[in-house]
Amino acid sequence: MDAITISNLSKTYQSRSKVNYALKNVSFSVREGEMFGLLGPNGAGKTTIINILSGLLTKDKGIITILSKDPEIEKEAVKNQMNVGAAYSFLTGILTVEQNLRVYGKLYGVKDLDQRISHLLKIFEIEDLRHKKVFILSTGQIIRVILCKGLINNPKVLLLDECTVGLDPDIAQKTRKILKDYQKEQGTTIVFTSHNMTEVEQLCDRIAFLHKGEILMIGTPKELRKRIKTQSVKIDIIGEKRKSLRSIVERFKVKVTESKLNMVIFEIRGEVELPKIINAIIKEGLEIIDINVRKPSLEDVFLKIARGEQL
Amino acid sequence: MRWYRINALMLKYYYITINRLDRIFDMLYWPLIGLLIWGFTSYFIMDLTKESQVLNIFLGGAILWTFYQRASQDMGNYILEDFWSRNLYNLLSTPVEPQEIILSAVLFGLIRSVITFGLLALLGAVLYSFNIFGAGIFVVLLFSLALLLLGWVFGIFVTGLIFRYGVKIQVFAWSFAFLIQPFSAVFYPLSSTPLWLQKISLVFPTTHAFEGMRYAFATGKIAWNSLFFAFFLDAILLIVMYYFFLHCFKQARKVGIIAKME
Repeated sequence: MDAITISNLSKTYQSRSKVNYALKNVSFSVREGEMFGLLGPNGAGKTTIINILSGLLTKDKGIITILSKDPEIEKEAVKNQMNVGAAYSFLTGILTVEQNLRVYGKLYGVKDLDQRISHLLKIFEIEDLRHKKVFILSTGQIIRVILCKGLINNPKVLLLDECTVGLDPDIAQKTRKILKDYQKEQGTTIVFTSHNMTEVEQLCDRIAFLHKGEILMIGTPKELRKRIKTQSVKIDIIGEKRKSLRSIVERFKVKVTESKLNMVIFEIRGEVELPKIINAIIKEGLEIIDINVRKPSLEDVFLKIARGEQL
Repeated sequence: MRWYRINALMLKYYYITINRLDRIFDMLYWPLIGLLIWGFTSYFIMDLTKESQVLNIFLGGAILWTFYQRASQDMGNYILEDFWSRNLYNLLSTPVEPQEIILSAVLFGLIRSVITFGLLALLGAVLYSFNIFGAGIFVVLLFSLALLLLGWVFGIFVTGLIFRYGVKIQVFAWSFAFLIQPFSAVFYPLSSTPLWLQKISLVFPTTHAFEGMRYAFATGKIAWNSLFFAFFLDAILLIVMYYFFLHCFKQARKVGIIAKME
């Protein structure tokens, strides 16, 4: 069953006589209990989708259902079962961590609030910050408090926008694990935006790639990687015969992306060409010391889309 | 509208008040300074003129003005706190309704206004032997309510502007209450102002409230006419500003100012 369905969602911004499309007929659905990633370069429309889903921004057209309800009509019922966490947002700085969480808990009508606050502070390992005012916290600490706030009402749908930006690598790793464990345990549906490809690959069951307000692809990380037909090959030789090495490779009409005196990196489609290229290099009397074939990563997909290149 | 959410917002305003010294200052310190200045000024003028009504006019005006001023400024200030903290994003993604934000600010402002009023009334009595209820408790409560209502009306207006235009218009939150003071006949009778100014002044409920209070102090009677116009104008302005606020809120969601948190 789908927790979120979006069909033909559009949003425009008017600036003087120009109409800018933030989203153009975006359609996708997120299954219940799924962790769904929204990926794309800046201005792709990821945050606009999160803002519309959380009710902070109105749509121009399109149909949205969250937990089988229209969020515009059954706003309270939807919002009570939903929460958001965005790294660029903040909480009331003059209030302590506990005071902030208490206010949000009460806004959602959370029962056993003391217990809930203690539990969340414990799982995010920030119990020591309980009585600290939010404005004195570091970015990483604030993000963890925002995540506590995001889980305060044990939401069925959680929208996370760049929520691990600014965390130390080890804390980010811990946070990802907490979120994944929580999602598995509670069956929470999570929509996740990030620029960190490794993070998205680790966390998300499915991903949508957005570019200039449109969805280009949707699939599992594995499916998306497979969409890239090219592989990157790096060949190192002994000695410094750059010109000949590059020219040998270019004979096979492959795209050379980088070359140095004793190294060349090029892209091939399929693996058929590679033995031929290696043979040609050996025949020219060059001594290969290393061949590295790199499978496409999600980052390659992201970069190609961002550059407008063909996959 | 849910009371538990209104309570939650009031709890937040309470936390802000106890954590921020300036929120306690604007509730107690500044009104107290105003009372001292107007009290000594009144005594000085009474010595010069031998006019006993001076104390009623100045101190009565100063104490009642704080009612209006607190109600007007508190609403904008507490909403601005969320803008300054970039917390509006989180707040408005909860099920909270704009009406609940307004009502919670109104109720919390009422508590703060009553505390300020109580303190000033007490100090007025102790320091200057001035009894604010000398005009009658009923009269004072009625005209105070009329002033509170106008304070909330302008608070709603300023809050609407904040939602629509963000913190760049925050100066209104502090100054708007004072903009109408020259037209409100707070410390002088309306008849002492130029005719053209009187016409403008009559548009503001504050003018009718202060005129009515002075009449009550002087005669011990209720000026029903002033009372009616004060509440009538309050009601019209309240309806207009409420819809203005809802319009601003709708526009803010449309153009994305809440999401941008600017």
